[in-house]
Amino acid sequence: MTNDVSTAVEVDLDMIAEQVWSAFLNGGEEETLFADTDSGAGVELAASVAMVGAYEGHLVVSCSHKASRDVASVLFAMEPDEVTPDDVGDALGELANVLGGNVKSVLPSPSQLSLPRVSATAHERWPGTVEVCRTVVRWRDEPYVVTLLSGGPGGSHNAQEA
Amino acid sequence: MLGIVIDDSRAMRKILRGLLADLGFEVLEAGNGREALDLLQSTGRVPDLALVDWNMPVMTGLEFVIDVRKIAEMRQMTLMMVTTESEHGQIVRALAAGAHEYVIKPFTRDGIIDKLALLGLVPVGVSS
Repeated sequence: MTNDVSTAVEVDLDMIAEQVWSAFLNGGEEETLFADTDSGAGVELAASVAMVGAYEGHLVVSCSHKASRDVASVLFAMEPDEVTPDDVGDALGELANVLGGNVKSVLPSPSQLSLPRVSATAHERWPGTVEVCRTVVRWRDEPYVVTLLSGGPGGSHNAQEA
Repeated sequence: MLGIVIDDSRAMRKILRGLLADLGFEVLEAGNGREALDLLQSTGRVPDLALVDWNMPVMTGLEFVIDVRKIAEMRQMTLMMVTTESEHGQIVRALAAGAHEYVIKPFTRDGIIDKLALLGLVPVGVSS
């Protein structure tokens, strides 16, 4: 992938992330949303979807446990301390699914999107991939790192446990 | 009015169930297309509306649309895809298979209601 394409995708990633947070999590109002240059250090969970076809890669969203509970609490309309690990996995996976689907729409087509996968970041690996671009969304004082990866063996979601 | 929400995400089912319930629908839920077909066939109920995700385990939304269109008793059901799949070719495939409408996630509440109004399932102007 050329630098020109990477730059174009990066611009779209910022815009897509903002649209997804606005429509999916903020209801078009309340919390301030902005991208910054935070490294995203401290993220503990990663949800990802694989893209297979004309574009081969992964869309990954990673965040802290607290941040994942915030997402689940909004989507399930519950208090953060009431959500279960299953709720967190479901909500974070759906967030990755929505982000991945919208990112896929600006990438070479046709491609297929996998079902989402959620796991601890310490155990996630995407061998043979390179980072195309990333953005960091800060929402409710927590960073969410959204990363687009390119490459990796085709035909399946190839995240592996270490 | 009876609606069914078919999505493998419990969070998404809860959001869509709430939206339809607010519009006066009785709402059924299924986690994939196979589960939805089994539910409808076992209960003998035919929803007025199905909101259908695309990417689901066991049976995808597209497979559900294709299969349900083969069942004569269910031909009156309005099928609305609600999915992240936004490639033009996929939208065409879903509509050609028998889906009536196509909504891309993330959606807004008013966006869904406006589509339902166009389909005659809720009064025009409900969203405003």
